[in-house]
Amino acid sequence: MMRTCGALAALLIGSSAFAAAAFADTMTMWVRASGVNAATHMVDLWNSTHPDKIELTTIPDNQMVTKLATGVQAGDVPDLVSFDLIYMPDFMKAGFLVDLTDQLKADPNYASVAQAYKDIATYEGKLYGAGFTPDVSILVWNKDLFKKAGLDPEKPPQTVDEIHADAKKIRALGGDTYGFYFSGACPGCNIFAVSPMMVASGSKMLPANGNDEALTGEGVKDVLETFKEMWGEGLVPKSAQTDNGANFTAEFKTGKIGIQGTGGFLLSDLKKEVPNLNFGVTFLPGVKAGQVSSFVGGDVVAIPKGSKHEALARKFISWELTDEAQLEGLAKNNIVPSRPALADNKYFAADPRVVVTAKAIGVGYVPWVFHFADMVNSDSSPWINMFQRAIFDGDVDGAIKEGREKMKEIAGQ
Amino acid sequence: MAPALLFVGLFVMIPLGQLVAVSLTDRSLLGGDRFIGFTNYWRIWNDSNFWRALVFTAKYTLILTPILMVLGFLLALLTVENTSLKRVTRTIVFLPVVIGLPSSSLLWFWLLDEQVGLVNKLLVELHVIREPIVWFATAPLAFWAVVMSITWKVVGFGMVLFIAGIQSINPDILEAAVMDGAGYWSRVRLIILPLTRRVLLLTTLISAIGSMLAFDQFYIMTSGGPRGQTFTAVYWIYQNSFISFKLGYGAALSIVLTLIILFFSTMQIALTARSVET
Repeated sequence: MMRTCGALAALLIGSSAFAAAAFADTMTMWVRASGVNAATHMVDLWNSTHPDKIELTTIPDNQMVTKLATGVQAGDVPDLVSFDLIYMPDFMKAGFLVDLTDQLKADPNYASVAQAYKDIATYEGKLYGAGFTPDVSILVWNKDLFKKAGLDPEKPPQTVDEIHADAKKIRALGGDTYGFYFSGACPGCNIFAVSPMMVASGSKMLPANGNDEALTGEGVKDVLETFKEMWGEGLVPKSAQTDNGANFTAEFKTGKIGIQGTGGFLLSDLKKEVPNLNFGVTFLPGVKAGQVSSFVGGDVVAIPKGSKHEALARKFISWELTDEAQLEGLAKNNIVPSRPALADNKYFAADPRVVVTAKAIGVGYVPWVFHFADMVNSDSSPWINMFQRAIFDGDVDGAIKEGREKMKEIAGQ
Repeated sequence: MAPALLFVGLFVMIPLGQLVAVSLTDRSLLGGDRFIGFTNYWRIWNDSNFWRALVFTAKYTLILTPILMVLGFLLALLTVENTSLKRVTRTIVFLPVVIGLPSSSLLWFWLLDEQVGLVNKLLVELHVIREPIVWFATAPLAFWAVVMSITWKVVGFGMVLFIAGIQSINPDILEAAVMDGAGYWSRVRLIILPLTRRVLLLTTLISAIGSMLAFDQFYIMTSGGPRGQTFTAVYWIYQNSFISFKLGYGAALSIVLTLIILFFSTMQIALTARSVET
């Protein structure tokens, strides 16, 4: 009897395993090159815990829009797509993505996703995607240089003016030690690491449409004035003026820069490449103490219209928001979760700097605009023109005025 | 004849026709494909950025082409004889031609870097300058940095064409000129230059068209900056087509640039042909 039962059980287990294998599906997922590292961790975790598998395809960053747009038009799309979140408004408006409103609103995990991800994935009251592999901007400071300059190494600047004051003292150390760094010819770097200082100070950056105002409030002017002064006083290396982003992360690694706005991705690089560099992490400040913000970046995940495994793709999106995926897929690999409430976790406990970075997502913003590339990212964008004219030419008011007009013009297209 | 026509039809005329068709629409990668007539062309007329880029491209062409012609011709005169040393010199001068333009632009970008670039280091060590120059901080410096890199990259091509032209001159003519007492520069001016005029036309055309279509070097070395002052016409087309995804407008810009280049090339060929006949 026992033997018969055992045989039956073995048969049942065997047949269920066979059934699972027989009905297991393989989904396809496109991910932009910048997000492939984090996406791979998530996909590997999914593949090791689910019978249905995901095949990941890396798309060069600058080809994602072209590939997806032509794919949607030709009906040849992946089941899931992970792309730079700034394209979300354009993709939603173009009708490329599947409406996920009911699913996400019913998902308890979605409720604790950072507000910035919810905002960017909303179009006309509907939700089209979820935060997937986040990144966020922060302020880093070199504690050793702070100490040498007579500053308290445990007290980072709390305001934009304090950045200026601290940078001045660090520059006074002389030689090739500088107080501050920014990549002066890199539009993306500066919207990421400088605009949050303006937003923290109460400004709104980009217009959502032609009737909306751009660069509102005094924060834009105050921050640009401070940057102009720091540049004029030689607190920033001359090379910053022409840095198109190639040295955005390299300069701080030299140990000769006191303070810099940067991205959370720098942490693991610094720990790996310059383990002896004694640095701290804090939120990007505004003009007044207590004002903080960040730019929430990274990738969102969505389902393109025409996906052949939509139900399964929906299952993946629900899964990637769970504690298991957020902690074992992201946090375990030193990547911040898209749910700020998970910032305090066992993987980050050893390094409070990572916790600060993870919490920065909760205080961050992301501009919801069409034509973000035209307004900000392109080499001729009003954003970078304003930034350079204000800081390097010294015409802050003229630069802001021109920036407002051009941004409005683009938003109205 | 027929295969040539078929080739031109398939690979030039049909795509060109498609380009014209797209230029009459508001096609974008992010939606939209309506027929809008000549609206894109009217927008180009009012697009100050395009005209600024076009003027910059014309300036670049007008400055670079004579530099390439004169240097190429002088190098050809220097290395035209087939001695070992001159062959080696030719090879060295020609070597950059076989490097890809993006690679050479990247090479010069780092050579001119103010922190780790060899050019600045050399100039400082030789006491020519006191502190490193930030080459891409101002438009004129950035412009000359690109001109320098492109001259290094392509001057060898003109040189080789000129050498071929000079070597094809019947040596008896040059010998007769020597016997008649003509000096070196007289031979260059009165015999070599007129007899290599067709090569000169070809080289000028290749150089001018290449310069009018300049993109890689500015994209890599200046990113169009500072403040968009080094945008070329093709760079502006790229921005509109692949950054802003306005394919219809990008197509219209391409048609306008093609017509401009076609006009000046035809003028140049006609003028040179007339001077050859006379």
